[in-house]
Amino acid sequence: MSDLVHENLPCGIELGVAPLPQRHVVSFQIRVLTGACAEPADKLGLVRLIGETIDKGTQQRTGRQLSDAFDAIGASHGGATGRETATFGCTVLPEHFAKAVALHAEFMRTPTFPGNAFTASVQLARQELLALQDDAHGLADKLIGLKAYGPLLGRHPLGEPETLDRIIRDDLEDHWRSHFHAGRMMVAVAGAVDPKRVAEVLQEQFDGFGSPYRDGRATFPVEFSAGASHHHKELEQEQIGICWPGVGATHEDFPIQQVILGVLSGGMSGRLFTEVREKQGLVYWVNAWQETPRGTGMIFLGASTTPDRCDRTYATLLREVDRLANDIQQDELDRAITGIVAALETRGDSTRARCAELANDLFFFGRPRSDEERVAKVQAVTIEDACRYLTTYPRDRLCVVTLGPRPLADSAIEDAHPNDSAPA
Amino acid sequence: MQKVTDGPYTLHTLDNGLRVVIERMPHVRSAAAGFLVRTGARDETPPLAGVSHFLEHMMFKGTARRTWRDITVDFDCMGSAYNAYTSEDRTIYYGWVRKADIGKQIELLADMMRSTLPASEFETEKKVVLEEIAMAKDNLEHRAFDFLQEKVFAGHPLAWPVLGYEDTVGPLARDQMGEYFEQRYAPDNMMLIVAGNVNPKEIIGFAEKHCGSWAVSGISAKQVPPDIHGGTDVLTVERFKQQIVVLTFPSISACDKRAETAGAAATILGGDNSRFFWSIVQKGVAPRAGAYHLEYTDCGLMMLYGICQPENAEQLLEAMRVEANRICTERVQEHEVERVRNKRRTSLAIESEAPYYRLAQLIDDMEYRGAPRTVEQMLAEVDAVTADTIYDYFQEYPVNADGHLASAGPRRWPEGD
Repeated sequence: MSDLVHENLPCGIELGVAPLPQRHVVSFQIRVLTGACAEPADKLGLVRLIGETIDKGTQQRTGRQLSDAFDAIGASHGGATGRETATFGCTVLPEHFAKAVALHAEFMRTPTFPGNAFTASVQLARQELLALQDDAHGLADKLIGLKAYGPLLGRHPLGEPETLDRIIRDDLEDHWRSHFHAGRMMVAVAGAVDPKRVAEVLQEQFDGFGSPYRDGRATFPVEFSAGASHHHKELEQEQIGICWPGVGATHEDFPIQQVILGVLSGGMSGRLFTEVREKQGLVYWVNAWQETPRGTGMIFLGASTTPDRCDRTYATLLREVDRLANDIQQDELDRAITGIVAALETRGDSTRARCAELANDLFFFGRPRSDEERVAKVQAVTIEDACRYLTTYPRDRLCVVTLGPRPLADSAIEDAHPNDSAPA
Repeated sequence: MQKVTDGPYTLHTLDNGLRVVIERMPHVRSAAAGFLVRTGARDETPPLAGVSHFLEHMMFKGTARRTWRDITVDFDCMGSAYNAYTSEDRTIYYGWVRKADIGKQIELLADMMRSTLPASEFETEKKVVLEEIAMAKDNLEHRAFDFLQEKVFAGHPLAWPVLGYEDTVGPLARDQMGEYFEQRYAPDNMMLIVAGNVNPKEIIGFAEKHCGSWAVSGISAKQVPPDIHGGTDVLTVERFKQQIVVLTFPSISACDKRAETAGAAATILGGDNSRFFWSIVQKGVAPRAGAYHLEYTDCGLMMLYGICQPENAEQLLEAMRVEANRICTERVQEHEVERVRNKRRTSLAIESEAPYYRLAQLIDDMEYRGAPRTVEQMLAEVDAVTADTIYDYFQEYPVNADGHLASAGPRRWPEGD
């Protein structure tokens, strides 16, 4: 891992490379530092429309010709838009790396945003919003995200029907001109590559692409809303989502948070799976996880269960969180640490997964991190650290969202909040 | 008993009939192990619908040496990425660990395969399975697929859902499950698959030690292929917002030598950068449209599908029919085939990287071909696909006939409009 390369290219790209010479493929991920948070408030969904339309026509090729060119090199590629970034990922055989980068450069630098492709993208975005209504988990995520992060960071990348209506084709081009610059790009590359050659290819392809000055690194404000809300929907199961503020990926307490989440939900021996599912049979799905927009962090608990069991499920979820500070055990801490460390070796055998880790490091830490560095901080976590974390970041302000046939009973909410400000 | 080594693969059969398949991957840091049990929904009788899947849950609940808690703790002490799943014709248990832990992983999985199906856990786990059934009912695609199988394979065990029904899982007794378990979880109906940075001799030693004493059941693996039904069937569920439209046609089985051709045909019709993508998705008709070759050991289906706003259903069906007719009547272009071949080459390279990815491919190879395929063999099969083989496939298995049309969503269409 000492071969990790970190370089700021003259064109403005921040580059990280993990050379893995024995691999048979190369994966790269280009992150452009613009996402839903950068959209005008009345045009939500704009960046996702750019992501869907940017490769549907360039000054050299039609969208179909471009897709054929990617297929000609067997590229496995795609894009995704989030709150903070627009990401383009690609995996190819090593001999096709330069061509794959050139094709990305072509559509990122010279898109024509054809009118028919724009119209189709808007129509499809509207249908995706409709599809979200049929996806209980996805809809619950959207609802709690807005409460957890507020009106800016809580935006959903799909936008809203009324904001999609306001977007015209020229908006895509305007936003692309102002935000798609090499100085707003982070590129992570992993696999059988020569880092020097990677830097040359990227510099050559993106030289002169907008401003080379580093931009788009600002964090976005969080407006957390404590409280409980219910959204009625005819479903077989009730979706329960709970969240509260945690720490971000670069915070010194982040490794402790990782381990605590491992204790709660790292494997089937985790507390939530054990107490909610295995002992009581209340759910099929239960989970605890974290999200880390840049500069902040949020803890989530989620479960889905039939309506007459939702009060008990809710109470058990919070009981287990509260119990942690009093009786966390060394053996469960050890298992959580082992789970995190082992995943680096198992998932690390996938070049694509290694590339994604590297891309995250560039985004959050501004540099690549070695496995040794990751492991050392996680392995150093003690029970005392965990207890201090749980005291320092108590779950005293909760955001609770339920989606389904019935709200939580008032008594269930009050019982779970004996000593704090119960959600309104 | 028998041991065969061919390139990176080692095949060995224990005296009790358990086959062991090993792939050495010396460049990786991890290893994965899995048990394949040749049992699934199609091996059930109607009153026992869902027993294979419920049994899969119960296999985590205790053995003569471990409680359910011991099992989950032992997995997590290794940092294993583990789970299990059940399909129509197989149940698979797996764990992916650091290479040094592969012996412990095999021992744990092997112990689980001798479950005592603890009575004290049976009713609690039944509640979990009933929750899973409820969750599936909230998923339109899951409901549509179950509905499709129910209609296309009507009268055959492939027609009933893997999860079963509330009224079959609910009354299921532990004794009924125990009897099914004794018949199906015998070494002559199972396989141990291991891939990763491992020593084959050691793996065989682990298998002998932990599985060598398992008793043979002598169960017959013979299955009767289904009749595939045509017609139109509509599932109306008003609370969903989208409509799923699926056209289904008979196709070759997974054991057929033309399986790669059928897969390529589906990709040209409905994969990324496919005819459906440009004529349906990019026309704004439906956000998702595709083609999928569903295959079992003795039958197969070519499924053309799309998910759209209910009012677009006619337009979606028409667009699918147009492309289905075109691919049957006009040879595909050689450049279309070349694109599919190129993507397959990359996907094979990606798949060859990580032991966990390899398990599924090894299981398919063993079940459908009786031996693992080398990368060279797989590439040769990919290279053998041409515009002519695809044309010949569609001459024999056309998708421009009526087929079976399934529609699921809020709209009672096409029957009720």
